[in-house]
Amino acid sequence: MKHKMTHRPAVMPGLALSAMLIACQSVIAAPDDKKPEAKPAQAPKQLRLGGSGIEQERSFPKIVSGKWTGPRLADGQPDVQGHWSNTIANHNNFTDPQGGILNDPNPNRVAKGPRELRAPSRVSDPADGQVPFQPWALEKVKEFQANFHNPLKPEYVEPLARCAPAGIPKSLYWHGYEISQYPGYVLFQFNSGTRIIHLDGKPHLPDNIKLWNGDSRGHWEGNTLVVDVANHNGKALFGRSGEFISENGRIQERYIFSNDGKRYTYEALLTDPTVYTRPFTITVPARKWTAKDQPNGWHFEVEPATHAGKETILDQYERICAENNGSFGLGAVEQAKK
Amino acid sequence: MLTSGILLLLIMSIGSAFAATKKVPRLANGKPDFSGIWQTTSAADYDLEPHANRKDAPPGAGIVEGHYLPYLPKALEQKKKNFEARATDDPALKGYTLGVPRGIYYPEPFQIFQRKQDLTLVHQFGHSVRTIHTDGTDHPKDPYDWWLGDSRAHWEGDTLVVDVKHFNDKTWFDRAGNFHSDALHVIEKWAFLDPNTIEYKATVEDPNVFTRPWTINVILYRHREKNFQLIEDYRFTLDYDQYYPPKPNKP
Repeated sequence: MKHKMTHRPAVMPGLALSAMLIACQSVIAAPDDKKPEAKPAQAPKQLRLGGSGIEQERSFPKIVSGKWTGPRLADGQPDVQGHWSNTIANHNNFTDPQGGILNDPNPNRVAKGPRELRAPSRVSDPADGQVPFQPWALEKVKEFQANFHNPLKPEYVEPLARCAPAGIPKSLYWHGYEISQYPGYVLFQFNSGTRIIHLDGKPHLPDNIKLWNGDSRGHWEGNTLVVDVANHNGKALFGRSGEFISENGRIQERYIFSNDGKRYTYEALLTDPTVYTRPFTITVPARKWTAKDQPNGWHFEVEPATHAGKETILDQYERICAENNGSFGLGAVEQAKK
Repeated sequence: MLTSGILLLLIMSIGSAFAATKKVPRLANGKPDFSGIWQTTSAADYDLEPHANRKDAPPGAGIVEGHYLPYLPKALEQKKKNFEARATDDPALKGYTLGVPRGIYYPEPFQIFQRKQDLTLVHQFGHSVRTIHTDGTDHPKDPYDWWLGDSRAHWEGDTLVVDVKHFNDKTWFDRAGNFHSDALHVIEKWAFLDPNTIEYKATVEDPNVFTRPWTINVILYRHREKNFQLIEDYRFTLDYDQYYPPKPNKP
């Protein structure tokens, strides 16, 4: 993520900085205002779907469940195969996705400008955009947020930073991913973890087996892949803001695909009577990336394949984290040869 | 009675040979369809070479054609060191991606998802994912060194022939410390013996470690238990997973 102020001289006097911030506000409020010199540094970044960077848009259409009129696979499933990624932000902040990491000690990374200029909370119900935590759970989340930047206990380290699977729902806004389909299955290959959605109606695993990605059973209803997720271990936090579900939780997902094949809306109902006061809904917008798009280091990590033909075939190389010591914040450390 | 028994056996064996060519599952394009969940019953992962029982391994006749691996002298010394240190140095103990071919004969199931253009192998152990390309593409011109190498395949009749290279040197072939360098090159051959059995062969060459190429053979069986499925085994998370999720403070 790029930061608006980082290229400004560090010695800039505070007063001038404040003046610029004020100018910034007015530019945001009135884009046609004549203050050209303040504009490049302070105006909200122009976002573009398929462009570079993580943030691709600040608002998005809601796709509704209905008929599927697009192409189908031989087994009758709507064909939604390909590379997909969320359009608004990474996992820095669950409820203010474009708001930066909470309590960030670096002022350059703290979100500026009014909240309504950023993408909405991923919590779409309740209307206040907040997870309806029970008091003890909210206290734990705030504790995590307060300690995230200087984690003195293991539980303050975001598990994804240790290469744990991103889990649900975080996998859907942690890098781009590939969906492929087979008779009886939808397969999600995430950057950090893999999900096999079983479409054959077999029962869930016995409930004492708890997994990072849970255990998924799905079926298609028109344009919507409906997935019931049980057997969560509750260990994959929802982001660097520390929200969570426990091993008693249930997630019911709806992947609602647009008939032009370009987008889907992810809606999930999260239920956990040991952590929340009521079930709540989250919404994540996603867009398909194709060979017409430029590769993107976050959303679309592909390489052109070697072949004689003219069409573009894209490779995506192996996704391996723990072995490469590849989690963020750490350089790859090679063990000395013996 | 004996004659009729032999005759029956003969008919059955002809029948099964017929079934193997006639009834193996196929994709719409006519190629064999290896989709399914597979696992070996061999003791190969304990040691590719023949070995008597030991405290940490059941006995096994080995799966190497000609029994023994043709190490270069210096590499053989390294192998012996690896063997002595196997209780701590085997990369599999950390839950790391097993590589090729070890992931195939490691004693946990893996699932093949197959389309015309590729096979995706999801290994239960570590949940590593390997793509075998069958879309006519070749190895990358500017490759990295990968844990699973880069797999490009073609069909020779009903046999899938996979060329795998561009490996790193961090995986072992088994728990006995058999190893390779980043010059590893593997050629796999996958073929149905019958609809529920795959004959898997891999020819391994690595001029930094071995004097000549060598070949292993294992049989893979389809899991046919009711409702059988892979269960995530991200075991590299086990050292820290007790710290999550948050729990209510004790009163």
